[in-house]
Amino acid sequence: MADFQTIGQSHIRVDALDKVTGKATYAGDVYLPGMLMCKLLVSTHSHASITSIDTSEAEALPGVRAVITGKDYPDARFGSGALKDRRVMAVDEVFYIGEPIAAVAADDEITALEAVKLIKVEYQDIENVVDPLEAISGRSTDIHPDLEQFEGYGFALGGNNCTMLDADRGDVDQGFRDSDVIVEETYHTQPISQGFLEPMACVADVEANGRLDIYASTQGPYQVRAQLASVLDMPIGNIKVTAMEMGGGFGAKLRLALEAFPALLAIKTGRPVKLVNTREEAFTLNGPRLETNIYLKTGVTKEGKIMAREARSIFDVGAYLGAGPNAGVGHGLGAYKIPNFKLRSYGVYTNKIYVGSYRASGVADMTFATESHTDVIAHKLGMDPMEFRAKNALSEGDTAVNGSTIPQNGLMETLDALKERMGLPKKLPSSEKEARGIGISVGEWRSGSGPSTASISVNEDGTVSLLTGSVDISGSDTSLAQIAAEALGLRLDQVVVAKRNTDMAPFTGPSGGSRIVYSQGRAVQNAAEDAKAKLLELAADRLGVPADALECSGGSVYVQDNPPQSMELGQLGRMSLSSRGGPIIGTASLSSLPFAPVFNAQGAEVVVDKETGQVKVTRFVQAQDIGKAINPMGVEGQLEGGAVQGIGRALSEEILIDKETGEVRNPSLATYLMPLSVDLPEIENILVEVPSAAGPFGARAVAESPGFGPPAAIANAIYDAVGVRIKTLPLSAERVLAAMQGRTEDEYTVDAEELRAAEAP
Amino acid sequence: MKKQLHITVNGELRQALVEPYYSLLDTLRDELHMTGTKKGCDEGDCGACTVILNGKPVCSCLVLAHAAHDGEVTTIEGVANGQELHPVQKAFVEHGGLQCGYCTPGIILSTVGFLESGEEPTEENIKHALGGNLCRCTGYTKVIESVMVAVKATGTGTE
Repeated sequence: MADFQTIGQSHIRVDALDKVTGKATYAGDVYLPGMLMCKLLVSTHSHASITSIDTSEAEALPGVRAVITGKDYPDARFGSGALKDRRVMAVDEVFYIGEPIAAVAADDEITALEAVKLIKVEYQDIENVVDPLEAISGRSTDIHPDLEQFEGYGFALGGNNCTMLDADRGDVDQGFRDSDVIVEETYHTQPISQGFLEPMACVADVEANGRLDIYASTQGPYQVRAQLASVLDMPIGNIKVTAMEMGGGFGAKLRLALEAFPALLAIKTGRPVKLVNTREEAFTLNGPRLETNIYLKTGVTKEGKIMAREARSIFDVGAYLGAGPNAGVGHGLGAYKIPNFKLRSYGVYTNKIYVGSYRASGVADMTFATESHTDVIAHKLGMDPMEFRAKNALSEGDTAVNGSTIPQNGLMETLDALKERMGLPKKLPSSEKEARGIGISVGEWRSGSGPSTASISVNEDGTVSLLTGSVDISGSDTSLAQIAAEALGLRLDQVVVAKRNTDMAPFTGPSGGSRIVYSQGRAVQNAAEDAKAKLLELAADRLGVPADALECSGGSVYVQDNPPQSMELGQLGRMSLSSRGGPIIGTASLSSLPFAPVFNAQGAEVVVDKETGQVKVTRFVQAQDIGKAINPMGVEGQLEGGAVQGIGRALSEEILIDKETGEVRNPSLATYLMPLSVDLPEIENILVEVPSAAGPFGARAVAESPGFGPPAAIANAIYDAVGVRIKTLPLSAERVLAAMQGRTEDEYTVDAEELRAAEAP
Repeated sequence: MKKQLHITVNGELRQALVEPYYSLLDTLRDELHMTGTKKGCDEGDCGACTVILNGKPVCSCLVLAHAAHDGEVTTIEGVANGQELHPVQKAFVEHGGLQCGYCTPGIILSTVGFLESGEEPTEENIKHALGGNLCRCTGYTKVIESVMVAVKATGTGTE
């Protein structure tokens, strides 16, 4: 392969200067003349019908410009996927504490808050259900009795089970009969927050012609545009969404969030309206993740070959299906070859805030279960956990759970790299007070695809302007600019990355699922090649040589056999303005790319305080097959950040939910415990580069996978250190201590029978 | 009732009529329109709003504006010397110490405050100095690396 000029080298982010000087502008930083401030009234009841809403006192308060309730919106339901089960604001019934009921626009925030307090709502309570296992049992109340009438309702059991997925292959019963050892277990994972530092914010304005102008904190401006159009019953073409700089999303900002509230208030008042969530609202108003209960049964031969897997997972989705339970099926097998399987995954309504997406929703939950389970099986067989994994690892030509053929990949290379770096297998020395242990796990994901577009225009000075519709959430703008620069033989600083909105840039899918560099990057590469072909054609005409005799690099197009015979890009750019073809613009559009799996192998060393059960991670190593590192510094940053989110999930993070009402009990960063620098070791990364077939320059996805493995790696390390197996997250000191003292049951322990009972009748 | 506030921000004397309940953070953002200082929680838990007040890093959301009357404040807009980045800013840019950028102003000001405090710049002391700054993107590895580079660049702890 040719030597790369730009990719494969660490580059300073294109947005770095703005971000270190305070110039980067986030949605909350937008201040428009005459702007009103919005505040929301939310439900204080878990499940109730609304018998009356009186807004008259609020409307009479000086400084209040408009008050809206659910009745002011068109009678429409929307959804995150196919199922349309949610209203933007409650109308006659509330389904969770925190559900929006009314919104106020006032001259300032204090007046808006006072007005909210003056709105009188009368409720009549309805029986609620908080426990998802109770909710799916058929014994509880049905939260949405009209579920089956909702648009997009598909395959499910009904009742509170709003969606279900399945995957089967081979003959599981025979697989279990052919097994020497069968391990059957249940795991429980906790509700968790995406923890973005920037609370959601939006400013909505209305142009004189009635078009809505939305400044949003979003990963998916085109998704916000489409969903706003549906809940406001407006044509898509009447809405412009500008995705501002975004202060972390991690999936939480993929779809319509709070934009419909200031939008309708802006329409009513004709003035700009701003809504910025409080930190409390960041926990209670926009979907976090809720609990998952996972049942696993696996049969293996005594030689360590996996023969069969049965998996059933129940995802609590809260009051609406904000994100589906796809991971329960898609990630029920892990990175292993399993000939016979039966996988079931259920989404279940409860009276809680609806679930949103978070860094490959559900995959971290599944990976905690499957990779703890893998360790349990290895120990039962008396095999080294790494050896057992390697023996069953998927390889090229195998069939993935989704039916795709596994292409060339770096799974074995990541396992080998981790083994070598950590010197596995090894036993860490323990002392009287502290026990040390080491654990590993493997995460798997696929490079995200979906609609992607790009255009590149050649400027008169030989620089190029890159326009894409994707939001930069992870340094992707820098990588996209590098891809364009590489394909055109330019320096990175010769690529201008346009600030854009939905009017200006062509449609693209949201920045999520690790799709931007892989898929959007491919579109950028194609657009650059399109522009390059046009440059060569123009130069060929002028130089009197065939286009295929030319090459484009170093800012000029030259004859390959005679480089001095050349033209500078600026010259060509200027010349193109009056050329037959007109100004040079390269474009590309694609909707899907081939399946390109991503594997990430992780190892954690922990020290467990024998007196308190406190666990500290003292070393953390990960090896990921990233195909080709476009910007190694950016890749490392993604890997480190993902791993630390996983460490938080493993050890300390938990949204506490009231068991009676479903209310979030700890909506603050003082009580929701995200890792701080003092809690962490340096994260060590190993970048494995086995190229993908279709990604730009062989790149694969990066950002999702590092977050999957930490909970299982740490649980496995705790087992190695003190011999106890914790099957509930987080792996808190009290839980570890209880287990060390022989108490293995806790309030979250789920009976296998109970989980099996969730099977379709 | 609004009261007159005098405050020196990044070397410039600023005056504003500010409600007595207004925080320094809201005053900077809403009244002075200096939006580089970020609001992540408004409760003193995340550190995104850190500014240097009279020589010490503080969470500006926890300081009432009038408590800073006649005081001197440095915000992220005042860290660079004109077009020339402060060594801390330069280190964060060059070593990947930022991603989404929302916690970055606060982390940079905590770092500047720490480097000016005269404390021994050991890794442990640095981690403690940043113990009030949450970052969700980076996992802190490159943040700490950036601070170590800034320590070297400024010669902190070497005299």
